[in-house]
Amino acid sequence: MTKHKDLPDKELERWLAGAAPPVETPIFAATLDAAFAAGPEPKTWRRAQQRLQDRLNDSAPRVYYDRVGSSLVGPLWVAVTDHGLAAVTYGGSEAEFAGRVGRRLRSTPVRSTERTVAVRRELDEYLRGRRTSFSVPVDLRHVTPFQRSVLEAARSVPRGQVASYGDIGRRIGKPGAARAVGQALGSNPVPIVVPCHRVLASDGSLGGYSGRGGLRTKRRLLALEGAALP
Amino acid sequence: MATADQIEAWAGRYGKEIHAYLWRMLGDGQDADDALQETFLRVLRHRRPASILEPRAWLYAVAGNVARSQLRRRRREGERRATPDVDLAAPDGVADRDRVDAVRRVVESLPAKQRQALLLRRYQGLSYDEVARVLGGNAQAARANVYQAVVKLKKAFPEEVR
Repeated sequence: MTKHKDLPDKELERWLAGAAPPVETPIFAATLDAAFAAGPEPKTWRRAQQRLQDRLNDSAPRVYYDRVGSSLVGPLWVAVTDHGLAAVTYGGSEAEFAGRVGRRLRSTPVRSTERTVAVRRELDEYLRGRRTSFSVPVDLRHVTPFQRSVLEAARSVPRGQVASYGDIGRRIGKPGAARAVGQALGSNPVPIVVPCHRVLASDGSLGGYSGRGGLRTKRRLLALEGAALP
Repeated sequence: MATADQIEAWAGRYGKEIHAYLWRMLGDGQDADDALQETFLRVLRHRRPASILEPRAWLYAVAGNVARSQLRRRRREGERRATPDVDLAAPDGVADRDRVDAVRRVVESLPAKQRQALLLRRYQGLSYDEVARVLGGNAQAARANVYQAVVKLKKAFPEEVR
């Protein structure tokens, strides 16, 4: 044990400003540096960085959107996230679409021709009758579990065929839920790709369609697919 | 609504130093990890992120709050604080490790503002003006907080010199 030695203020200031402790240092400065100076190891930071990145991606998905022209149903807006296609909207203004999708997905959509290329190509081919099914993944993380099950069931209705709201309810184990099924399909975030147009009323009439053009659009899509129309 | 791009830019620019700060506040790697995520998620939840004019100071302030609430929870749960990984290559490594543990406990027992002011000034390299922007008050108050921390640490390790 040696005598206690205080750091003079000038030396203390230099140490606080980042200088190494002077040779004759009170033990607190050297010990404090031993505990805190090095900071986390690089691998600790890399792990933290990766986890932060993953968490931010989940919480604020990057959203890219663009426009798809179509003579059959008019122009569409589409938006994709890292997880797949998250929105298809009939017409409307760009600002309106970007605003609505941004609020729904808690993000700020960025217009991108490149990021939406697969979705736009598939939709274009489909609406020209040159494609029969979609291979792009669909991002349904932002709908309720009930709506997701309804939309998944609607996806399993093959091209050229139709099902009733009651059929879909039975398929998801909720036979009495035809009305709720209709509502869930009515707010389908990705129409055409999730083919809610293939779901009709139980009496064989067309039921409803909330896309622009309403039942006329529904009828056109079904005609394109060669379904027997009521 | 904060944008993904904005937060990613801030995470890229300030993430590393904020993580180091949280590591210094919380020691244990996992806690610092969680606190880092929580800090940046609070940017996402901020109602008017455009009003954050000084993101670095804002992030430091939020990180400090997050770390303090973790410390409070830890104390409530009576959890034993994990010893951080510190490379102690010194020959009397065992004694040094004890001393490092002791100094961490003393630092943790300091009033929050003094502890934060000391860590921000000496180990995060902030000026007194910057410390003041994080903790509130002015540069003089920031300096006083750092000095009070130093006085207490000197008292805790009174006898020896290296």
